Amino acid sequence: MNVIDFKAKAEALLPDGANYDACLACGLCASGCPASGFDGMDPRRFIRMAMLGMNEELSTTAWVWTCTQCQRCAHVCPMGIDVSVLVGIARGAWPTEKKPRGIVRSCEAQMLFEGTSAMGLQTEDFVEIVEETAEEIRESSPQFETLKAPMDKKGAFFFVNQNSREPATEPEELGPLWKIFDYVGADWTYASKGWAAENFCMFTGDDEAWEKMVRQRVDAVNELGCDVWLNTECGHSFYTLWKGVERFNLQANFEPDSLVTYYAKWIREGKLPVNSDWNTKGIKFTLQDPCQLIRKSIGDPAADDLRYITRKLVGEENFIDMQPCRSANYCCGGGGGFLQAGMNEQRRAYGKRKFDQIKSTEADYVLTPCHNCHSQIEDIGDHYGGHYHVVHMWTLICLSLGILGENERKYLGPDLANLGLVQGEQYD
Amino acid sequence: MIDKSAYRELETEVLVIGGGVTGTGVMRDLALRGIQCLLIDRRDLNAGASGGNHGLLHSGGRYAAADCETAAECRQEGEILKKIAADAVDPCGGLFVAVEGDDADFAGKFPQHCARAGIPCVELSPKEARELEPALSDKILSAYQVPDASIDPFRLTLANVQHAKQLNGSDYLPHIEVIRFEKTDGEITAAICQDHRAGTKLKIHARQFVNASGAWAKMVAELADCHDVNLLYSKGTLIISNTRITNAVVNRLRPPGDGDILVPGGTVSLLGTTSDSIDNLDNIRPTVSEVDRILKQGVALVPVLETTRFIRAFSGVRPLLMSSGALDDGRKASRGFTLYDHEQQGLSNFATIAGGKLTTYRLMAEKTGDLVASRLGNENPCQSADVMLPVDEGTRWTEPGYSARHWFKHSDASDLILCECEMVSQSVVDKVIQKAPGAEREMTLQAIGLRSRIGKGTCQGAFCSMRVTSHLYDQDIYRNKQGLGHLRDFVSARFKGIKPILWGEQMPQMELAETMHCGLMGLDLLDVDDARSQQTDLSEVKK
Repeated sequence: MNVIDFKAKAEALLPDGANYDACLACGLCASGCPASGFDGMDPRRFIRMAMLGMNEELSTTAWVWTCTQCQRCAHVCPMGIDVSVLVGIARGAWPTEKKPRGIVRSCEAQMLFEGTSAMGLQTEDFVEIVEETAEEIRESSPQFETLKAPMDKKGAFFFVNQNSREPATEPEELGPLWKIFDYVGADWTYASKGWAAENFCMFTGDDEAWEKMVRQRVDAVNELGCDVWLNTECGHSFYTLWKGVERFNLQANFEPDSLVTYYAKWIREGKLPVNSDWNTKGIKFTLQDPCQLIRKSIGDPAADDLRYITRKLVGEENFIDMQPCRSANYCCGGGGGFLQAGMNEQRRAYGKRKFDQIKSTEADYVLTPCHNCHSQIEDIGDHYGGHYHVVHMWTLICLSLGILGENERKYLGPDLANLGLVQGEQYD
Repeated sequence: MIDKSAYRELETEVLVIGGGVTGTGVMRDLALRGIQCLLIDRRDLNAGASGGNHGLLHSGGRYAAADCETAAECRQEGEILKKIAADAVDPCGGLFVAVEGDDADFAGKFPQHCARAGIPCVELSPKEARELEPALSDKILSAYQVPDASIDPFRLTLANVQHAKQLNGSDYLPHIEVIRFEKTDGEITAAICQDHRAGTKLKIHARQFVNASGAWAKMVAELADCHDVNLLYSKGTLIISNTRITNAVVNRLRPPGDGDILVPGGTVSLLGTTSDSIDNLDNIRPTVSEVDRILKQGVALVPVLETTRFIRAFSGVRPLLMSSGALDDGRKASRGFTLYDHEQQGLSNFATIAGGKLTTYRLMAEKTGDLVASRLGNENPCQSADVMLPVDEGTRWTEPGYSARHWFKHSDASDLILCECEMVSQSVVDKVIQKAPGAEREMTLQAIGLRSRIGKGTCQGAFCSMRVTSHLYDQDIYRNKQGLGHLRDFVSARFKGIKPILWGEQMPQMELAETMHCGLMGLDLLDVDDARSQQTDLSEVKK
């Protein structure tokens, strides 16, 4: 067991400005934290114990793996205290063999190959899957007969990252994204190095591994000379690079940006003429704000964009926001590596708050531009008997534009499964 | 006029007046000799200097230059307390440090002075001193290491009382004040007392009477027409930081002055003190200018004090023995003690023990015990230096951080935490109410606070005061509006200590407290007399 002196660490981390000593013990953090109560802990208790010098207890409590480091506590703290930083330090101090295996294994897999995929997907396989999938789209959709998924294209405007989940387990979900790029005429490329989005090394608390991953990806983008590193519909992958560049003082010759920002831009510019005409039945949608994308990084501009896109897509009257939302939104419980940590009971108990939030919107669908949110919200829906479906933005964008293929609908419910298909229901 | 027959009457072998560390020490000393006592205090345990000090277990270094005898006493007694009260002592060690601008001659003679009093003293290079205590100034002239320690004076007092109770059923009663003595033929036969809680009078018969009332010793002696006790009152103010700043005690190596000792108190540090002669013991409270003086001096020794968060200030009054040359300067007055047998004042069963220090309290109690025992014909020797003080579920909750570790270890989600800062749970409050010395049916929050860490943390009782009050109503311990009165009294008392350190983070902390206590609870509008006299049970109102 490595015992950390949390108070000393906190002081070293924050020489000025925010100060852990400033805690008012008001409990705003604890009352809004879905991890409050696990292992007798909550964010306020963590700070108090650090101040009381209870370093052994904090160095060993498994609570640090149920905290998703979502920073809602920091967001509501009147004194600007961020408990998640101390949680990261505590995680890092755990002996590797005692850390949740799923998180450690994913980080180890990322280290193995130049593609940095946490699922261990090698670049040659990635390239092959991308080629095959693109070929299928070109063959089956005349509208996209010239569609390309470029690889290592020097000087492309966008360097697009890719969550390993699609190429490894559901390549048909790649199509909608590429169709959107094709539709707006985006100049983009994938890369053979550092293409993967996910970064579980950040969740292990191992700063060196986090840095190594980000450095590899930053180098890959610099090498291709792209203007924008475009993060697709994934939350933590944006945060890990965006934050990592600053934290590890890396030289990035590009702007990290989110696909959500570009969806909104393209819609405003008329390049993506989405509308809600298809939603004749008044199907209701709610929206999950990914913590990593909203509260932890871009904030209100991205929250505004998400709502702008959603309203355009589903119709003003069919969008019901969760409460609280935007930067005050609750983490779904899939973040911080929780989904991979093997602690299903706690993860679902954590997610109950999200489930109740969704349930009270009475929405039929939850839209979320984040893979972890997507998986967790589906899982808690099954577990607690919810009747909603969870979809990415790209599915709905393509549905609205009438370009969503038959095999790209696995997350749509029966009400939308055939909408717009030739053999099915027609658009009005 | 209250009818004499309406007095509640009590009988004991020895009545000890004053629930400070000396009075409780006398109680334990006598109980160890098999003598039954009753201890009373006008307010409660440690209400005077015993609760208003640094909690410093002196190695004697502080007095080595000026008062070799006291220094040697401190050294001996310090060693004894480290043994018999190991649980209440943090053997953290101490440093004496001179910084630029301090008198190098005075500092240079420190090892000789220590040697003369038999105090182990090791010279450290400035680098070594800063390695031990990184918070020290980088302008160190010289540094010495001595066996100082810190001690929890509340734990000591509680353990003394608990021990006496266990030994022979000796008892302690709070809020009982002596208003006069009844005397016959050169002996006191009874003390007539006022019970401030019950509002009734009490007559306590005893064979021997011991006055251990600290700063009030002169007044109590005068109630028995003894005019031989002459004290100098020296007010000292200290401030408490939110977290522990140094591991060891840090003393400024110079002739004693303001703000020159920083003592760890478990999870916090205490910086002090001032020393101002006063005439009146009423309304003792810390002031802004005292805090400024302490900090100004403290910063020279430990620069981080400039930006440290302080959570409270408090004051105590040192009862110093008047001696020639010490008229107006408390720091030059003797730290020694005197046992008055009052025989020249015509009394043969009354004694006053006065002066002294926290560190030497056991010796003071021993000398008092010797006199009282011999007067009673009891030949049992003093055992207080050899028998360990007990630790039990009624007395162990004042230790900083203990409640938190205890709760975490037991991890019982149903045992709700009432005080978040110090992590004091319901079950701990219940143990205090049931088992702590001086526990009674309707304990005030202040009484619970001095037996636990309630109200001691960052928020200074802002939250726990309300939660503990609610818990006590739930338990049917508080039944009418009086409970709100206890709540108001508690937060008002806390605020006295917070007012002089209201800057930085403690300002928003108090804004929050004000919002809750006044805005939410309306405690500022609570009619005290209404609350005090109201007889209706809330439980009846609910029906």
